[in-house]
Amino acid sequence: MNTRRSLLQFLGGSLAASFVPWRALADGSTASSEDFFIFVHASGGWDVMLSTDPRNTRTGLIEPPHSGNMTKTGIRLWTDAPLGDGNSSFQLVQPKGSNIVFGPAIGNLSNYASRMTLFNGLAMNTVSHPDGTIFAATGRHLAGGRVPASSVDTIIASELGTSQLLPLVSIRFPSYAVDGIDPRAIPLKVDSIGAIGKVLTRSTKYSTVATRDAVTMMLSAEAKDLAKEAFYPEPQANFGLQLDALRGILSGNLKDAFTDATLKAKYPSFAYTGTSQAVGAINAAFALEAMQRNISRCLSFAFSGFDTHTDNYDDHATSQQDMFDTIAELVKQLDSTPHPTKTGKKLADHTHILIVSEFCRTPQINLLGGRDHYPNNSAIIISPKFKGNTVIGSSDKDQLLPTAARTFASGARAPAPPDILSTLLSSAGIEPSTFVRDGEIMKEILV
Amino acid sequence: MRSSIAFALFAAFAAAGCSKTPDPAKAEPVLGKASDLPGHESLKVDNSHKEGPRTLSGESYIRSYLFLFGGLSPIDSQTALRGSGTTADTSLFDTWSDYLGALGMPDYREDIARSTQTNALMIAAFERIGVALCDRATEHDLKSGLTPATVFTFKKTATMPTRAEFDERFDVLHRRFLGYPAKLAPTDRGSRFFTVFSDASGTAADAGVRLTGQDAGWTAVCYGLIRHPEFHLY
Repeated sequence: MNTRRSLLQFLGGSLAASFVPWRALADGSTASSEDFFIFVHASGGWDVMLSTDPRNTRTGLIEPPHSGNMTKTGIRLWTDAPLGDGNSSFQLVQPKGSNIVFGPAIGNLSNYASRMTLFNGLAMNTVSHPDGTIFAATGRHLAGGRVPASSVDTIIASELGTSQLLPLVSIRFPSYAVDGIDPRAIPLKVDSIGAIGKVLTRSTKYSTVATRDAVTMMLSAEAKDLAKEAFYPEPQANFGLQLDALRGILSGNLKDAFTDATLKAKYPSFAYTGTSQAVGAINAAFALEAMQRNISRCLSFAFSGFDTHTDNYDDHATSQQDMFDTIAELVKQLDSTPHPTKTGKKLADHTHILIVSEFCRTPQINLLGGRDHYPNNSAIIISPKFKGNTVIGSSDKDQLLPTAARTFASGARAPAPPDILSTLLSSAGIEPSTFVRDGEIMKEILV
Repeated sequence: MRSSIAFALFAAFAAAGCSKTPDPAKAEPVLGKASDLPGHESLKVDNSHKEGPRTLSGESYIRSYLFLFGGLSPIDSQTALRGSGTTADTSLFDTWSDYLGALGMPDYREDIARSTQTNALMIAAFERIGVALCDRATEHDLKSGLTPATVFTFKKTATMPTRAEFDERFDVLHRRFLGYPAKLAPTDRGSRFFTVFSDASGTAADAGVRLTGQDAGWTAVCYGLIRHPEFHLY
């Protein structure tokens, strides 16, 4: 009997060990645990021709954005480039001294071209929203309806963020935990910042904080004892860890800081009104606050309004400009905000931003006046560990499809999301092959 | 007509007086072998482990909560939890829709998929809901003594209960929430809950909260059972 129990406990211990982050098992780690990561999803599929991979002439299949198929009013960097049929497309935007050429919807983010690594001509191999979204965030396509791998934000939170109160807060971002993820890093997924405040609110009229905390502490002990007895100890053990995490969260007096009103008051420079991305602005302010308080490692959120199949394409450029303006304001704030633990450093010195979408939109205008899904894409990284003013990959001039622009170990091919995620993980000191099956590190873009 | 009613009443009283139908809530646990059961003498029992415990969808927990706390509909329970008049406390509960995302439920308006794993925020949401349900149940059953009781289907002791008196009542709650007698729990659960009960009972009055004495203690026990790992991991 004792032998059997010992064996089961040994097996249980082995299983529990599988949840220990790989980082904790590695010796001589060079990864900083004082870095922050921001992940942005342009939800719906953005039109790269307006910003990151601009097109302003009729070439091949391409019907460029112009005054006849969209509204250029309010697009600040738009300068007319006549197409000769009475419509005007735009003149390319190339910041002074920059290698990167943008379309006008890039907005204020063009000011940060020198710190930007831009990926164009990404091979998405999908035009499905769920599949493209998962591929961009995990580096794997859906297996049936199943997400087969963890998303990059979850991996980083698991490897570098478990000491934080909220390792990963995910607001409408495709965050997934699959294998080898510490239970404390399971994405805290919410649909809005206000939801966090409501969930953390506790009435003081019926019971005391001490009583509720004592109950949670007791339940944690129960969970851990049940895990010792269990044939499958992981769920109980993980539940206990999450109860411990809850005690930390509730003792942090966080609820008041994470309301819309508080964030707007503290960060008035974000555009909360007169913008199509007011929710994104709140989320960006939340990210800034969470980093300042040093309670999160990864903040993930989404901007919306890009799935423009019909004549709502009219507003697509505005949606992009509002998103990029918000991100530019976030970078500006990071530049001026002191790092919470590194004396003399700013948040920008230790913050890494990845901006993705699930795919781009067709080069043609459809019969409804919009653009449909297209299996090409762009992505942006702004990080002190990446070379700025850099473009990787390209799309062909006639069809806007990815070209075999880089030589990988297997030969020339277009870069794809797994390559970006692998490179990002590598820059954070995480061995990418542990989590990302297909990617290859692009060392030439790392500082 | 009158005679038939009288006969029916007589029969009902007779049945009530003579029947010895065991009360399942008070039945003593009997440990035995499956082969002792009639017809099972030669059958082999499959004792192999099939699957570890896991969480269920948020809807399952909400439905369980509502069933345990009186069977109200979600909208009625929301009204009851928020209270009205002197019992109003909107800080106790918001609306169900405020918690959907945190509970891991899908939001089809925003095309947000269901979360399949628990996280600390989800546990915080379950705590918030569980605390609200327990507070209102204590207010109804123990403080006001309204009948029928929804959760606390026992009588409070005149003074603070002894350990034995606590165990007897704790068993009622344990069976209700976790579905089996407390004495079969694999941990030292009775002692742990008694400690929480005693501490909560002793400190509530000084803290100026609405539920004091035994009421505070039983509420804390309810908090623990509605959020117990065995309740959440099925």
